[in-house]
Amino acid sequence: MNNKNITIRDYLYEAPGPKTKRYITIGTVLSLICVAWLIYVIIRLFYENGQLDAKYWSIFTRATTWRFFGKGLLGTLEVSLAAMLVTFSLGMIMMIGRINRNKVISTIATVFIELSRGIPTLLFIYFFFLAVPQFGLKLPAFWKITLPVAISAAGVTAETLRSGVNAVPKGQREAAISLGMRDHTVFLKIIFPQAFRIVIPGLISELVIVLKDTTFAYVVSYADLMQNARVMISNYDALLSVYLVVAVIYILINYGLNKLSVYLANRRKRLQAG
Amino acid sequence: MAQATQAGTPVIELRHVDKHYGQLHVLKDINLSVKKGEVVVIIGPSGSGKSTLCRTINRLETIDSGEILIDGQPLPKEGRKLAELRAQVGMVFQQFNLFAHKTILDNVTIGPREVLKKSKAEAEQEAMQLLKRVGVDSQASKVPAQLSGGQQQRVAIARSLAMHPKAMLFDEPTSALDPEMIGEVLAVMTELASEGMTMVIVTHEMNFAKRVADRIIFMDAGAILEENTPEEFFTNPATQRARDFLESIQAH
Repeated sequence: MNNKNITIRDYLYEAPGPKTKRYITIGTVLSLICVAWLIYVIIRLFYENGQLDAKYWSIFTRATTWRFFGKGLLGTLEVSLAAMLVTFSLGMIMMIGRINRNKVISTIATVFIELSRGIPTLLFIYFFFLAVPQFGLKLPAFWKITLPVAISAAGVTAETLRSGVNAVPKGQREAAISLGMRDHTVFLKIIFPQAFRIVIPGLISELVIVLKDTTFAYVVSYADLMQNARVMISNYDALLSVYLVVAVIYILINYGLNKLSVYLANRRKRLQAG
Repeated sequence: MAQATQAGTPVIELRHVDKHYGQLHVLKDINLSVKKGEVVVIIGPSGSGKSTLCRTINRLETIDSGEILIDGQPLPKEGRKLAELRAQVGMVFQQFNLFAHKTILDNVTIGPREVLKKSKAEAEQEAMQLLKRVGVDSQASKVPAQLSGGQQQRVAIARSLAMHPKAMLFDEPTSALDPEMIGEVLAVMTELASEGMTMVIVTHEMNFAKRVADRIIFMDAGAILEENTPEEFFTNPATQRARDFLESIQAH
């Protein structure tokens, strides 16, 4: 059997018979007509409101526009990468804390995880933007967006990692300690590598959220893609066109990340299921 | 292939071992002594405590009271000492428990490398010899999921042997295998027994037990009811419980 072609549909529905196949064909045609009609309506609305006028779109023919977006994109990628690294490090620390046998350490870690998961990202950003400077700590704008975004994602990451650790069969640990390995070796060499592979898709979803959260950079006036888009809009009054292009850029990046996740998950299945 | 047992300190000794799971008394005053080179097979109905007994010997299960001695030394309760002792007692599990993310070769070398601090080259050379001995050397670069159950269990035995254990524990090593693969695993175990390995085996394979055991331990409801040579036990069991058990498994 070719495992690659089995999708969620095969688990949910039985194989379609002739009648069902006919219904599926009719449904497909009807929905395609609906989609086409919807697109037509949207474009006509834009046209009637002048959003398709050349003045809103001609800016995209200039290299300076793309250079400006490029700078913003670089800012976004820098913050995202830094935030992802901080998220992962904090998540690891919290997860290791939470599974610690010491009740005090595990309780403290649990409290931090719940705070991180429960508080909205924007509140963390305001904290770093408004409260932290009052303690006399002058952080550059880069960290004022990176740290809160990372802290806000770290709790979920810790729990994702922990679910991976829990998903590793008990026998793996028993086999390792039976060979005479100590707890830390068992964790580093046997448990964690397997746990990590299990949660890669979950972690990448988390990275997508981190990347999207970096759009809050405008709050601290850090020049990311979103902030530069806002500058473009205020200069050219080209709200729809700019947001559309920026949305497409974000979609492409996150689509890439999701593809990476699927690729890694499939590779793991291939490796472990033969 | 029963061999004459040697005199001296027992390799494994249990004295008055008791264990409870809450209200359930799973091990009742267990006394057992295994000499060097001896093959002891534990049999009994499901839930009789035979797996639990096997797993207490390297402290995968803790005990409530009593004493366990390995080579005359009390079994350490934790830490480095316990780890060092576990390194000297091989364990083969019902579910093989090969490390799923490592190749067959790495499964066999990880113990010697991480615990005995052997060099990669030395560990791999010996691992290949062991894999050859159990007949899976051609699979060395695959991952466990690519092997059949019988092959995986033979790798698990090689993984234990790589630590040069004083004794080996087998916890129902063929119970998770398809019938056609049981023989190949039992063959490896028979060979080990004939080479003088000290073994404690929990199994349902009665013919194998007859052939290989120096001594049969029959357990029921957490207690050892009989301890005898295979000839005596299988032809003339002393207790009614053992007679019922042997009858029930021979019925089909």
